[in-house]
Amino acid sequence: MSEEILRVQGISKSFAGVQALNHVDLTINRGEIACLVGENGSGKSTFIKIICGVYTPDEGEIFLNGRRYKQLRPIDSIHEGVQVIFQDFSLFPNLTVAENIALNQQVAQGRRFVNWREVNAIARQALERINVSIPLDVTVSELSVANKQLVAISRAMLQNARLIIMDEPTTALTHREVEALYKVVRGLQAQGISVLFVSHKLNEVQALAERVIIFRNGMKVIDTPAQEMTQEKIAYYMTGHDIAESRYEYQAKDAPIALEVSNLSRKGAFSDVSFRLRAGEIVGVTGLLGSGRTELALALFGAQPAESGTISLGGQTVSIRSIQDAVRHGIGYVPEDRLTEGLFLEQSIANNIVVRIMKSFAGRGGLIDSVRKAAEASNWVQHLSIKTRNPQLPVKSLSGGNQQRVVIAKWLASLPRVLILNGPTVGVDVGSKEEIHTIIKELAQQGLAILVISDDIPELFQICNRILLMQRGRLVNEFETQAIDEATLADHLLETVNQGQ
Amino acid sequence: MFLSRRVALALLATASLLLASLSIAQEATEAPAETPGAIFEVEGQWKVATVVKLTGIAWFDRMETGIGWISKDYPSVTAFQQGPAQADAAQQVQVIEDLLAQGVDALCVIPFQPETVEPVLKRARENGVVVITHESSAQENIDFDIEAFDNAAYGVHLMDALAERMNYEGEYTVFVGSLTSKTHNEWVDAAIAHQREKYPKMTFVGDKNESFDDPQKAYERMQELLIAFPNLRGVQGSASTDVVGVGQAVEEAGLQDKIAVVGTSLPSISRDLIKTGAIDMISFWDPALAGYACNMLAILQLEGLMPEEVFEGKLPEEGFGFENLEGYEEMTLVDRVFFGAAWVDVTAENVDEWDF
Amino acid sequence: MPSIRNLLMRQEVIIGLTIVALSIFIGLVNPSFFSTANVFRILRATIIVGMFAMGVLIVLISGGIDVSFPAIAVFAMYVTVSLIRSGTLPDNLILSYILAALIGLGLGLFNAIFIAWLRLPTLIVTLGTLSLFRGVLLFFVGSQRIRIAEVSPSLTELSRANLLTVENPGGGVANLHLAFAFLIVLAVIVWLLLRYTMLGRSIYAIGGDREAAERVGFNIRRTQFFIYAFVGLLAGITGLTFSALSREADPFSIVGIELDVIAAVVLGGASITGGRGTVIGTLLGVLLITLMSSSLVLLGISSDWQRFVVGLLIIIGTTIPVLQARLRRRVAA
Repeated sequence: MSEEILRVQGISKSFAGVQALNHVDLTINRGEIACLVGENGSGKSTFIKIICGVYTPDEGEIFLNGRRYKQLRPIDSIHEGVQVIFQDFSLFPNLTVAENIALNQQVAQGRRFVNWREVNAIARQALERINVSIPLDVTVSELSVANKQLVAISRAMLQNARLIIMDEPTTALTHREVEALYKVVRGLQAQGISVLFVSHKLNEVQALAERVIIFRNGMKVIDTPAQEMTQEKIAYYMTGHDIAESRYEYQAKDAPIALEVSNLSRKGAFSDVSFRLRAGEIVGVTGLLGSGRTELALALFGAQPAESGTISLGGQTVSIRSIQDAVRHGIGYVPEDRLTEGLFLEQSIANNIVVRIMKSFAGRGGLIDSVRKAAEASNWVQHLSIKTRNPQLPVKSLSGGNQQRVVIAKWLASLPRVLILNGPTVGVDVGSKEEIHTIIKELAQQGLAILVISDDIPELFQICNRILLMQRGRLVNEFETQAIDEATLADHLLETVNQGQ
Repeated sequence: MFLSRRVALALLATASLLLASLSIAQEATEAPAETPGAIFEVEGQWKVATVVKLTGIAWFDRMETGIGWISKDYPSVTAFQQGPAQADAAQQVQVIEDLLAQGVDALCVIPFQPETVEPVLKRARENGVVVITHESSAQENIDFDIEAFDNAAYGVHLMDALAERMNYEGEYTVFVGSLTSKTHNEWVDAAIAHQREKYPKMTFVGDKNESFDDPQKAYERMQELLIAFPNLRGVQGSASTDVVGVGQAVEEAGLQDKIAVVGTSLPSISRDLIKTGAIDMISFWDPALAGYACNMLAILQLEGLMPEEVFEGKLPEEGFGFENLEGYEEMTLVDRVFFGAAWVDVTAENVDEWDF
Repeated sequence: MPSIRNLLMRQEVIIGLTIVALSIFIGLVNPSFFSTANVFRILRATIIVGMFAMGVLIVLISGGIDVSFPAIAVFAMYVTVSLIRSGTLPDNLILSYILAALIGLGLGLFNAIFIAWLRLPTLIVTLGTLSLFRGVLLFFVGSQRIRIAEVSPSLTELSRANLLTVENPGGGVANLHLAFAFLIVLAVIVWLLLRYTMLGRSIYAIGGDREAAERVGFNIRRTQFFIYAFVGLLAGITGLTFSALSREADPFSIVGIELDVIAAVVLGGASITGGRGTVIGTLLGVLLITLMSSSLVLLGISSDWQRFVVGLLIIIGTTIPVLQARLRRRVAA
């Protein structure tokens, strides 16, 4: 009874001798939610671009709604109802919600003039179809990420979408927003629209998908109903090896205190925050969006300094009014958005790693000792197993996980005493995530005190020995990870939500 | 391949722009009037550069005509004129620097800002270049300065003309090119002092108004003055464009008969407004003659023909001047500044006698 | 519920309030500020900057910048008047405007070739053509000031044409120049273009996100060609209007106006990075800049202080949007 929307047979694609896709067969039926899983470089992106006609496969056949395409052009793909929601959404930040939704259709119809009443009507109907309500006259730049996504989805619907492909749609969403998105996706399904959901997150795969398709090294390694999958199996198929799940055990319980914060406050961000961090500890700070967790991290790093309270490092009270102060006192910070905050993308990997300590390579006359510099950089490349042929390549040539490692290396190179990691594995695939976790634990064992800011509860349990819970700018609870389980922490988190309402 | 085609297209576009401009026939400049004629022998192959405040305005175009006469009367002298395209002190210095780099024997400079050009003039003189200035009687680093007339006397002359047209009573104000332009300020200062002494029923209102040698600025300022001072009855302009802008504002407000406008200007840019009565009288000195006189001083100095006494700030007993230049036949000398008596008054009656 | 706070977020409202406050202040210092003559005077002073601003608005919305328009304007104006003087072009106002517009269009297309076709940065291209156009004009066409009254009766007639003439209580008359109507008509056209045509929306789209505009299916190259050609055309028309207003064609005039115009447009809420800007905001921005720079005598500020005060007012005026943007961010966070 199932009707095929998409069928590809034996498609392959290679770029400059690298086999990105290798004889992939895949079928998606009408009204089906399928999850496409794979590490970075597994061929997911290439596959999506072939489906929407951007790349032409070297071999193989594509059928859309039963029609066979040898040369699929983007316009054919759109006509067959394929719509891709990219991570950047392709929305116009300066235009209103209504116009963003209706614009594609208006252009496609070759309109010359704008009828604003019609634009609003189209947009209203489109939003109603996915059963969400967003004010039509608000400019998109003022929307949350989740609402931007919904605008992008309703715009796709207007193009008579039959298959919507979502590229890592939950990356920047909060838990509740993810739930809302699930609802929308199920609503699409109810209208007979198929959804191909690309994700790194195993719990999403299980929560939403009927089918799981896993790519590894350009090949489809498994294609199976979701209920037959477990976390372990997915991880295994993605990486090709088992991933051991272990918690971090903090040994030296009487190690010296590396960081002590007392009564730290900043108006409108957090107030009266006090805690201690010992050398070798990994402490998680969690809380919902707006709980003040990121603001706390930025205050410790001097980016948005605290207004009152004290910060002590190694028993000595210090004043942190700027990023320079924080760096001088040995505090390192790895930002959440590695692409915009942490790296010079056009510069080489080596330069990015040593940028903070460049001065130390200055020899006579202030010239940089490039041999020593290269040695230091390749040392870190090796130590953090950054996958690259050559540290002189630009950072943008690396995958997300490896870029994140470069950021970590950059901070480690200046030998900090306290390292703050904000969302260390956001947007990183499961294999890389595990390796980053291993690195973090090793660093702690070497005596570094680490503060992890994250809302990824499983992650906090895997790497932290202690978790601090923040709510509306205050530190409300503290747990030893050994003492509780994920469900309990989630309950506490939700409790704070309920109190908040 | 594709890119090179685009580049070719761009070059084609540039070329066609140039060609199109070339095809717009350039206006032939009017035939130069008769030259004053040589009055002594010049032996040296001198290169004399005249640096004006601004190029492209009628005043200095007329001066360039006078510079042209020098080359005709004294064929061994290469005389030419240069200046910045915008009224800007720094750009004028740049023009002088470039000339020094090219090598000239003498510089005749009409400084935009006297103090700004001092250093470069100092360097010029150290390198043996003769420096003559015009419209800048307090310049330090010069051989001589020449003024068409004594500035105070000229200011008094303009005030008398203004007062007469105002029936010796009512509010008036003055315009200067810039508060730093020395000559303009000497004219209006002398005029205001003269009014206070001789015409007690007249009142100076507001402040000296800056026009930046831009008729539009003068126009806008005058419009504002008409509102701020509804009883304004007279205006004295300084820059050649001042009365042009002022006159336009007066004419548009229909106040030609109520407000007297006098000032320095040129017939070519003020003729229409003089004829409608918006401007009552303009005065000027012939910039061609002034430029010619400047160059003459430079040549005399280069040739070593300057009478001994003038270096002590005294005129020789028989007097000193250029008998072939009207207004400069008998000059006075104060310190190193020569003064002629070379002003010309123009009203609606005689405006058509002048073609610059 | 458009709260007061939301209302204050709109640049037009902020600028409008600033204008009202400044007017009240000047009026208190000097009551003749509110006279008809003064209102007409200020409106007339907005004509040229306002007409240029309409073109600059379009360019800024598209995410580009154009600093060559004064050179285009002076080129079109001076060539047209020169041709009238030499008798090549009959002295007819309509023909003169058509020619000036066509010259402007041609020079605008010249910019467009480099920007849309070769994809060079707009600032670099227009800085280059700013010098190029002026240089070509001065070198090949001429450098002498031409009095309009001596060459063109039709332009002279325009320079004396008024929309409104009112008797002044203190004698004389107050005129609102006819060219003010040009500005209003132009503003309406640009408003309709930006608001109600897909071409206008494509300009906003390109300025908002060029790549997304491409994906939607807009022809970016064609839109850019239109933008720079249109700005050129507007500049040509504005240039000739300037010669009528100032009663002369001076190849050295309209220098440096680009900064005033861009400042006015940005003050009016257009984003220098593209995507934002409205006609109303731009008109208000022009009015505010004009008001600030042309009320100094009325305020009784001495000449020595005038430049200082203009600078100060511009800094204050441009600080408002920055503070407002910060406020907006805080509200959003």
